[in-house]
Amino acid sequence: MEVTAYKTNMEFFVDMQRCIGCKACEMACAECETNGQESMIHVNYVERAVTIQTTVQVCMHCDDPVCAKVCPADAIAKDDFGVVQSANTARCIGCSNCVMACPFGVPKKEEKYDMMMKCNMCYDRTSAGKKPMCATVCPSQALFYGTREEINRMRPNSTPVNTFIFGQQVVTTKVNIMMPKGSTQLKVH
Amino acid sequence: MQFSLNRKAALIAFFVTLACVVISFYGSRKLQNFDPALIAYLFGTLFALFGGVYRYCVWLQRPPTWMYFKRTWQFVFTGSFFTHAWFMTVDAVKNLLFQRFIYPRGKKRWLAHFMLASGCMAAFAITIPLTLGWINFTLDPGTALDPGATNLYYANFFGFRVMGFKLGSPLAFLIFHALTWCSWAVIAGAVIFLVRRLTNAGLIASQTFEGDLLPLILLIIISVTGLGLNFSYAFMKGIAYDFMSVTHAISVILFLVWIPFGKFFHIIQRPAQIGAHIYKKEGQKKGMAVCPYTKQAFTTQLHVDDLKTVTKQVGFDFTLEDGTSHLDYSPEGKRDLLALAHLKARQEGGSFFG
Amino acid sequence: MAKLPASPEKLISDFGPHLNYAPQEGYPGRDEPDASVKTHCCFCGMQCGIQLLVKNNKVVGFEPWMEFPFNEGRLCPKGIQRYLQDNHPDRLLEPLQRVEGEGFKPVSWDKAMDRVTSEIQRIQDAYGKDAFAVLSGVSLTNEKSYLMGKFARVAIKTSNLDYNGRLCMVSAGAGNKKAFGLDRTSNTYADLEHAEVIIVAGANVSETFPTLTHWLWRARDNGAKLIVIDPRVIPLARTADIHLPVKPGTDSALYGAMLKYLGDHDMLDHDFINNHTTGFEETLSAVQDYTLEWAAATTGIEIEKIRQAAELWGKAKTSFLLHARGIEHHSKGVDNVLGCINLVLATGRIGRPYCGYGTITGQGNGQGGREQGHKCDQLPGNRDITNPEHRAYVAGVWGIPESELPGKGLTAWELIEAIHRGEVKGLLSICFNPLVSLPNNNYVREALEKLEFYVAIDFFLSETARHADIVLAGSLHEEEEGTVTTAEGRVVRIRRAVTPPGNARADTAIILELAARLGAKDKFTYADSEAIFNELRVASKGGTADYFGITYKKIEDNMGVFWPCPSEDHPGTPRLWEDKKFATPDGKAHFNPVKFKEPSEVTDAEFPVVLTTGRVVSQYLSGSQTRRIGKLVNLIPEPLLEIHPALASTYNIRQREMVRVTTRRGTAEFPANIVETIRKDTVFIPYHWPGKKSANQLTIGTLDPISKIPEFKVCACRLTPLGVISTPGETHAFDSI
Repeated sequence: MEVTAYKTNMEFFVDMQRCIGCKACEMACAECETNGQESMIHVNYVERAVTIQTTVQVCMHCDDPVCAKVCPADAIAKDDFGVVQSANTARCIGCSNCVMACPFGVPKKEEKYDMMMKCNMCYDRTSAGKKPMCATVCPSQALFYGTREEINRMRPNSTPVNTFIFGQQVVTTKVNIMMPKGSTQLKVH
Repeated sequence: MQFSLNRKAALIAFFVTLACVVISFYGSRKLQNFDPALIAYLFGTLFALFGGVYRYCVWLQRPPTWMYFKRTWQFVFTGSFFTHAWFMTVDAVKNLLFQRFIYPRGKKRWLAHFMLASGCMAAFAITIPLTLGWINFTLDPGTALDPGATNLYYANFFGFRVMGFKLGSPLAFLIFHALTWCSWAVIAGAVIFLVRRLTNAGLIASQTFEGDLLPLILLIIISVTGLGLNFSYAFMKGIAYDFMSVTHAISVILFLVWIPFGKFFHIIQRPAQIGAHIYKKEGQKKGMAVCPYTKQAFTTQLHVDDLKTVTKQVGFDFTLEDGTSHLDYSPEGKRDLLALAHLKARQEGGSFFG
Repeated sequence: MAKLPASPEKLISDFGPHLNYAPQEGYPGRDEPDASVKTHCCFCGMQCGIQLLVKNNKVVGFEPWMEFPFNEGRLCPKGIQRYLQDNHPDRLLEPLQRVEGEGFKPVSWDKAMDRVTSEIQRIQDAYGKDAFAVLSGVSLTNEKSYLMGKFARVAIKTSNLDYNGRLCMVSAGAGNKKAFGLDRTSNTYADLEHAEVIIVAGANVSETFPTLTHWLWRARDNGAKLIVIDPRVIPLARTADIHLPVKPGTDSALYGAMLKYLGDHDMLDHDFINNHTTGFEETLSAVQDYTLEWAAATTGIEIEKIRQAAELWGKAKTSFLLHARGIEHHSKGVDNVLGCINLVLATGRIGRPYCGYGTITGQGNGQGGREQGHKCDQLPGNRDITNPEHRAYVAGVWGIPESELPGKGLTAWELIEAIHRGEVKGLLSICFNPLVSLPNNNYVREALEKLEFYVAIDFFLSETARHADIVLAGSLHEEEEGTVTTAEGRVVRIRRAVTPPGNARADTAIILELAARLGAKDKFTYADSEAIFNELRVASKGGTADYFGITYKKIEDNMGVFWPCPSEDHPGTPRLWEDKKFATPDGKAHFNPVKFKEPSEVTDAEFPVVLTTGRVVSQYLSGSQTRRIGKLVNLIPEPLLEIHPALASTYNIRQREMVRVTTRRGTAEFPANIVETIRKDTVFIPYHWPGKKSANQLTIGTLDPISKIPEFKVCACRLTPLGVISTPGETHAFDSI
């Protein structure tokens, strides 16, 4: 595996309020060489009947990925850079445990392949020192990939947050969501 | 990863291996039909068996795996057994024998995998019983002594004669060269995969040498040396026979020893897919879970309920203050809830930007 | 000529639209391309930089171009999928001729060219020079736009030449010329970054110019207040500081009231007004009656919101005002534009850093294409065809006597009317699909059926080209060298990535050969595209759109040069008016009084609902290219009728119920999408689809008296629910009948 070029100072920052729902990321994701014309990113209307709001969701790459823990086939692994890789094609049995257990709703069951596929942060690109395809093309920069210094400079009134509360469960992630300055966590429930 | 010995698994593996030794001892008519030249292979096979069963048992003990294992057999043995048996048989032929699920991922991929898998499986079916002495061939003494007659061979299973065929007949040709056909299939499949892995940028990025390339190389070495043995014997008067023989033995033994730990474990794992299918089918009969946010059905209620148990077993608790669970929401619902929580935080923060 | 040569089903099965998808693992060679060609996306005026990956003379993929300053690698879904117009099964690979009852059959280039030239001569001999018309388009490069203008006037010798920019931003062009004497966005979009207040009027930026969003969001990161004027809560409006949901057709009332508010509260830059403008007093007095109360009643916007917007605009130190088709596609499009310009001039916020104004040009070369002289009233350099000096100069460059240069011809819609009346008998079109993009489709179809001879140059058989007698297989954006001018006024290089496939030819080669066959060979000898550009430079010299100092090399070295650029040592002009010397004859910016007028068709008892049209993110213009790209079609498979739940409930319309929309021009049926993000008195339909799904079956052909733009953005309709719920799906290709 060619990993020497992976830039550990680069991080992923998401701000779904910037999202304009154009789906450039979806199109770009499908161009990524690791997922053969399937898109791994999710853009959807939050409730179209009342608002134009869309949300965009990449894999958050949890520090302790529940998807891997609930996989009956040991098909999901986190690598040395903290990237939670997509399902090992040889092992995945398409059971969808990860799809239903992920608190962020990220993994996708590809019914036709009877297999799960998910965002691996464009491993073909990041491992070569490039930015993920979605964050490269995102016209609104709802998806930003760069250094912490860059994001602090560009959006000084926001704070990257990587702690999420789902009831009893606290989840910490490699990917950050941009929140009002001073925030330490995002409480979903 | 825990490296401490799993007693339960070790015990089961020990007894299964012991049973195999006992069966082989009597099956080979107290080693009468055992081919001493295969002694190294025998130990390799027994180790693979021990390791495979051990690993399988360790694997089964993982909460999500156990949940599927348990549910599958629950479903099979409650209700209409024969319906399930039929479903499993059909699914096994489709997905294990023909690996139909790979076809939509790419026709060439499927063809390669099918050749690789059927070559391997057929070779297992031939060599393992031979190694364990379960199968042997004997020459009919009558035809052997009669110079005018064509030699008649018998195939014996556990020492019982099951069939006879004449030397030089097409059947004989097929049987004696069965491993040759397997080798060609494996080589063709493995080469297609190897080329793909060396040229596809996506795979290059995500594969590992020991996990993805080495297994293919190993299979190619096994098949090529296997063919080489035959070729050397038949056409080259035994030139390089020893080299081939040693390389073949080493690579096969490596392969066997590796089954429980590396890529090849998926061969043993794959039948779980059938369990997942039954789980889904039976779950649908019991009823679907409807997402409280999107109001759409998204998976079976059984799945949601079991996942609540399993996530707790593996150290997560998505229980909400009102007693419901984050797991009650569909993937889309979860994404929407996060976006709404984020919107609220941004609104309370007074600015969407900056 | 006459009706379709074969059934639409047959034509569609032969020529599409078919959906093109990339193979599962990408086109072969994508991982090891022969070249990555730095060029631009063809699908809007932003002209985002992009690299096309080429293998064996085929475009096999793309890679973001991180260094290009406007978009720095960012792209929209159209840009990402643009490479799929290459290797397309519908691509025309050789010239075609119409065969009655069978459709179109291949014909040799020689025969096709012979037929075209003989028909042009026959029609012109029989009916006069102007009986043969040319329709061009601004997805063409500057070189081709220039060439089309010269070709029509020098080789065909017709005055009837116009272009699809007539449906684009001509209202803005006319307004800008009146106010500034020059037609270009005044600043680069980088000037948005530190603008305090930004008004976006009638511009659905996030769907039509997605990559411009970045600059707006950058501004907001820096604290800019955003005011969005649009009848719908567009994605930009959701998080805007103020959203003014204007009733379609009442924009100028809003601007008038805001101007009065600025005057009443003395939020004016008197120095600027006194020293650098004319006409302020008349302009202000024209809006004396436009109180906030009146504006609220007229536009349907809450009075407090208008006040807040006027306050914000009035008090800002820096600002940027952007508008697009939403205010320009009106029978008073020029008025709307002038209303905006008046707000800019009154506050004097122009010609300084972070103080800008401009229309956001829609088409790929909407800016450059409108300067090079392929519109009926204009010569290269944005010169005026009725101005004797301008005529003499260009005639000189072209080597013809001024007397032989045709005069002003008919505009696009007027040409269709003239064809319908039988005055124009022959047509050559390139880069224009009027059967989908003009209003009142049925009328346009009748006109096409009356032509004696129609030749289309195209790379796909568009809905309009199905009516042609001869179709000449032309070239894609990435098959010829050239330049385009972006919406910012930046002249950039388009690179040839591949050569035309099969027997298709470069558009330029086709035009040059036609010119030669028409006896004008000596006027059309160019070694390559650069030679055409060099002549364009000379032809534009001294005009307002002066390209003389721009060379291919300079563009390549600087990743673009902003016109005007009068000499080779001139760096170009990213920001206009820094010297406060405007391009008008008196050197001053002109206020223009704008009185509010109703749209040409207002609602009544028979047609009680306002209909407006617009775009979706995944389609470009009439969709001739983008409706053939699988994933773009799948993204938004069909046009939906957006309707507010309050309006829907008065008709008992349910979600996705088929609704018949009827106007005085025609009827069409669409599934309803019931959303709270639109005004209660207005319905919206996107316009990219042809035939039965075309919104332009309904729209009205009333023209702005100055710009001659049709009134796409407002007309009156009535709704009839049909009781059938349509299942979400893709629009059937046969709907294009």
